Amino acid sequence: MDIVVSQLMTGLSIASILMLVALGLAIIYGVTGVINLAHGEFVMLGAYVAWALQAEFGMGLLASLVPIFLIMAAVGWLVEVLVISRLYGRLLDTILATWGIGVMAQQAVRLVVGGELRYVQMPESLSKSVTILGATDSAYRLFILFVALALFGVTWVIYRYTNFGLKLRAITQNRAVASSFGINTSRIYRLTFAYGAGMAGLAGALVSPLKSVSPEMGTTYVVDAFMVVVLGGTQSLMGTLASSGILGELSGYLAFYSNDTIAKALVLVAIVALIRFRPQGLFTAHART
Amino acid sequence: MSGKTKTEMAIYAVVCLAILLVPVFLDDAFLLNKYARYLVLGMLAVALSLSWGYAGILNLGQATTFGLGSYCMAMALKLKTIPVHTGSDGLPDFMVWNNVTELPWFWKPFYSMSVGVAAGILIPALFAALLGWFMFRGRVTGVYAAITTLAAMVVVQLLIIDQQAYTGGFNGITDLAQFDVAGFAFDAYGPAIYYLVAICLTASLFIAFAITKSKAGLIVQAIRDEEDRVRFFGYDVALYKIFVFSVSGAIAGVAGMLYTIVMEFASPTFLGVPISLSVVIWVAVGGRQSLLGAMLGALIVTGMQGALSESETFLDSWTLIMGLLFVLVVLFLPKGIAGAVETIAGRFERRRTLARRQSRRADTVGEAPRLERLS
Repeated sequence: MDIVVSQLMTGLSIASILMLVALGLAIIYGVTGVINLAHGEFVMLGAYVAWALQAEFGMGLLASLVPIFLIMAAVGWLVEVLVISRLYGRLLDTILATWGIGVMAQQAVRLVVGGELRYVQMPESLSKSVTILGATDSAYRLFILFVALALFGVTWVIYRYTNFGLKLRAITQNRAVASSFGINTSRIYRLTFAYGAGMAGLAGALVSPLKSVSPEMGTTYVVDAFMVVVLGGTQSLMGTLASSGILGELSGYLAFYSNDTIAKALVLVAIVALIRFRPQGLFTAHART
Repeated sequence: MSGKTKTEMAIYAVVCLAILLVPVFLDDAFLLNKYARYLVLGMLAVALSLSWGYAGILNLGQATTFGLGSYCMAMALKLKTIPVHTGSDGLPDFMVWNNVTELPWFWKPFYSMSVGVAAGILIPALFAALLGWFMFRGRVTGVYAAITTLAAMVVVQLLIIDQQAYTGGFNGITDLAQFDVAGFAFDAYGPAIYYLVAICLTASLFIAFAITKSKAGLIVQAIRDEEDRVRFFGYDVALYKIFVFSVSGAIAGVAGMLYTIVMEFASPTFLGVPISLSVVIWVAVGGRQSLLGAMLGALIVTGMQGALSESETFLDSWTLIMGLLFVLVVLFLPKGIAGAVETIAGRFERRRTLARRQSRRADTVGEAPRLERLS
């Protein structure tokens, strides 16, 4: 019993991190159609901001979450204004441009902070472990799960019940029509990008105590997160939630029963097959939120 | 053949000739090896330009076919070495270290060098054809095709790393024999290898050029611009795409084989994301819709990289400059340097015809009064 629960919890923990990273990516892709390959670097920058705030100003991780969100949102806003906004007519080129931005961000961090691993302290109050149904799990991982769900909830409410969200959904469905109804689409795009980048920053900050912080850490996340977006479909937030759950549990399970490499390869093969046979994602048909 | 095609061919020929003449003026084994390496990468750029620039398939996994070619050559060359520590019948050293007792079946054909070379072309082409069939029959296009190629590459790389006993894993295949044809050995640091690479580059450049000028090439370009319309005309869109994708894979495979010969090893990093994305940069900088531009882009960028990363000041900031350059090119020169040159040349051309027309008009205007006087 406890092995099942602990296996389940491992999967959930992976899933919650996946969802944190994927949420920003999904929103950006869903609304603007831009595949943001720099998303992993936004995650990495968030982790570095967390580290810097802790090392320089002695701020705890929990206290620094809001500043991190704001800083990263500003970075995203800047990237949108300087680069992305010029490329909306050429979506394939956004892959290239965002990749270039990612390379620059990585190297800039390496030059400024150095390439060595950095560590972020876990908040005191969450460094204990908790027992659920006979299985022990670290309190911090549960906390991430909770935060991930909370952020998802906030995003969902914004998406569903605010004026901004209404405009977002309108643009997602048809940009030209939305803009002819007087919606300032370029402003909405900018805000969307900023929000997505802020979310990525939060994801980076939250995972930083679990893993060491390095300039390359973003690369692995962006691939996994992209898989979540493909699986979940671009039109639905619920799809993102469900697919990160599935992928998290799946990779936890596969890593448990076979080796890591094969698990990774199998997930990629599954994604390739999915793109081929169900490009709209698994959940699009019944969940257009 | 139109006049424009002839001019283009002349330019291609001049550039290839210039490349072939380099060893005449340069007598430095180390530099020749380095330039041969750049030329191989130029070939890889030609392969990507063919699929991306002409067929609109952004292949983010071009290194897959490159790496497969490279491994085919490495396997053939490995079996030619006199192994230092071997098992009973000349087993490659890394197999001995991994307790493999017998040569696996898929290694056996590589005892023959001609089979190795054929495999180095056919296996990448076949892989590209299969992947292309899988994607294009399902009408996977644009961004999704790009991601699929990327994912496929990572899978192949993971498999090669994972199957250490048969592929050498992380270390790749090292300690190779020299490539030789009919008793003539190609020393990696001699002019012979440079000529070999330069000739292969010229050949692949002209083959690719011929394809782009053929009827199939025109249809492929039409598909790039308006896929649905070509489909409505009754063409088998997927078939044309698969064709170009496989040719591109074959060229990359040959480049991979040459890379192994020049570098004297094969490594899973040859199928890595960094190299794949670098090719995309070279092609974007040089101009994706010009085979020659793409190749020159590769030479320029890798050459610059080689020069800058040797100097102290740029060692660290090189990647940063590279990223910036790339973003700027994507933003302001979507057709790369070749596109910019073409625009400028076109402007000159227009000015010249305009001037000619004006002078002709001036002539007629000059004649007009005389006619009036006559009347």
